[in-house]
Amino acid sequence: MGKTLFEKIWDAHVVVEKENNPSLIYIDRHLVHEVTSPQAFDGLRMNNRHVRRPDLTIATMDHNVPTNDRSLPILDQTSAIQIQTLEKNCKDFGIKLFDINSPNQGIVHVIGPQLGITLPGSTIVCGDSHTSTHGAFGALAFGIGTSDVEHVLASQTIWLEKPKSFQIRVEGKRKNPQAVTAKDIVLSIIKKIGTSGGTGTVVEYSGEGITDLSMEQRMTVCNMSIEAGARAGLISPDDKTFDYLRNRQYTPKNYESLVQNWKENLKTDPDAEFDKTFTLHIDGIAPQVSWGTNPGMTCDISEVVPTPEDYSKGDHNQKKAAEKALEYMDLKPGTPITEIKIDRVFIGSCTNARLEDLIEASKAIKGRKVAKNVRAMVVPGSQMVKKQAEEMGIDKIFTDANFEWREAGCSMCLGMNPDILSPGERCASTSNRNFEGRQGTGGRTHLVSPVMAATAALEGHFVDVRKLDLN
Amino acid sequence: MKGNVIKYQRDNIDTDVIIPGQYLKIHDYAELATHAMEGLDPNFHSKVKEGDFILSGKNFGCGSSREHAPIALSHSGIKAVLALSFARIFYRNAVDGAFLLPIEIDENAYQNISEGDEIDIDISSNEIKNITKNQTYQMKPFSEIIGKIIEAGGLFKYKPD
Repeated sequence: MGKTLFEKIWDAHVVVEKENNPSLIYIDRHLVHEVTSPQAFDGLRMNNRHVRRPDLTIATMDHNVPTNDRSLPILDQTSAIQIQTLEKNCKDFGIKLFDINSPNQGIVHVIGPQLGITLPGSTIVCGDSHTSTHGAFGALAFGIGTSDVEHVLASQTIWLEKPKSFQIRVEGKRKNPQAVTAKDIVLSIIKKIGTSGGTGTVVEYSGEGITDLSMEQRMTVCNMSIEAGARAGLISPDDKTFDYLRNRQYTPKNYESLVQNWKENLKTDPDAEFDKTFTLHIDGIAPQVSWGTNPGMTCDISEVVPTPEDYSKGDHNQKKAAEKALEYMDLKPGTPITEIKIDRVFIGSCTNARLEDLIEASKAIKGRKVAKNVRAMVVPGSQMVKKQAEEMGIDKIFTDANFEWREAGCSMCLGMNPDILSPGERCASTSNRNFEGRQGTGGRTHLVSPVMAATAALEGHFVDVRKLDLN
Repeated sequence: MKGNVIKYQRDNIDTDVIIPGQYLKIHDYAELATHAMEGLDPNFHSKVKEGDFILSGKNFGCGSSREHAPIALSHSGIKAVLALSFARIFYRNAVDGAFLLPIEIDENAYQNISEGDEIDIDISSNEIKNITKNQTYQMKPFSEIIGKIIEAGGLFKYKPD
């Protein structure tokens, strides 16, 4: 029997394997940020250990950096300490750091691919659940906690029980690809399989609906694999993948010979079997808007807020969850999604803050202004994305329309830096989690695509972007 | 291991309500613990006692990889979370750092154990005794390796055979 892409990458990285035991897996790249690493470095110091492969370890600061003027000091003392601690740890242990003033600073999952650090067939870990993003390049990439960060720093390996394999086929073609985006594909998948539908698995996305996507769009899909509970999501690399990584700052010197090898090996064999499969047909899918407090609580833009009964389909716990979600979100069943008014718009995060996302969002603007009573911000995923967008004049389109144009970071995705919602505020957000309080205590998050978020900013409520001219 | 139950009858308790993002900057675990579960239950800190257990539904701990989530619960006094199922990163973090025991239970235990019940968890026999109600439930046994890591007191103390 043939092997899946996941099994091939797994087999190539096994250091120790014993029946009925976890395997020791070699890690090719370890990405580090300021929030989940301090205790790991403390642990190394306490035990007199060094970082085994500082050359394979790359750090940046993204979670708690302010996204306003970088020449100003960081006012929040605990954030400032966490940032200084990462600087010291990188210096002490000889790790390359893209600090707050580096032109390469940015969200760790945006800069990895952009710098050519993320490579097909490699294993990548980071103390962040959205590490699954890098799977778009055919890498086995997953988030880990701080104890495992310490283990990888010390040994460049991790103990792992082999996950199950889950094939998600995305079939068909989107009718209006500017209005119906990669975000809508992945939200549609989570809506169908649920927030624990992928638990314990590595998802391989395939089919025409996936191969049609650009690399940046594929990253959006793989990024949200964790929202379905999967450890990782990956996509077999193709010419789009190889072209994207060619001539990046850290692309390996022997790149073309690597590509030859990847072309031959990094695909699932035709006779390989998956533990689980799911197929989504995307011919008719609509732009998605989350209405509840987990990413599975999502519906089409053309629908109404569901009743708990309709949503739960007879499951008592689901019904209660929907009731609580509607109460938290202050929404009444039957309300058309297009009538939900918003206060804030956030275009950013490791899900949707790459150059293409910003370009797509800017196409909705067409000389118009952000609606009165709405505050909208655009936070590029990295300083490099910001620079590229500025060279193209994208920043001007946003600022002319009264969007704030900010410095790179995780920003309002997770409510741990100055960019937060106030209690009760309602936000159209291109991020990945709509959990209670995620964007700030009492804040209400609706997950949408960049073009949906930009349009909502202009109108003050959600709009079916399929009806707009987005060329 | 005996203790009282704090019950949250819902699925998908995520890491953002277990420890909201704004507290991830806190390095002091005792202080971190004062904000545990704040996103869901602002009274948690005042009612939790050393040795208590949390009981909840499916997919407990979904979301972020922040180890602060099991740490905040552990330093609040929580010794085990009993749930119908767990998100994998939370489960792994809980075991790796020996912060608390993630115990998978069945629907029978979930429905019958109430807030405040005193229970006794015996991981050698995989039994949960409800002392308050005089009932016994089965827990899902830990896999061999997880059992060994728990016995050793965490990933760094565990020595593979």
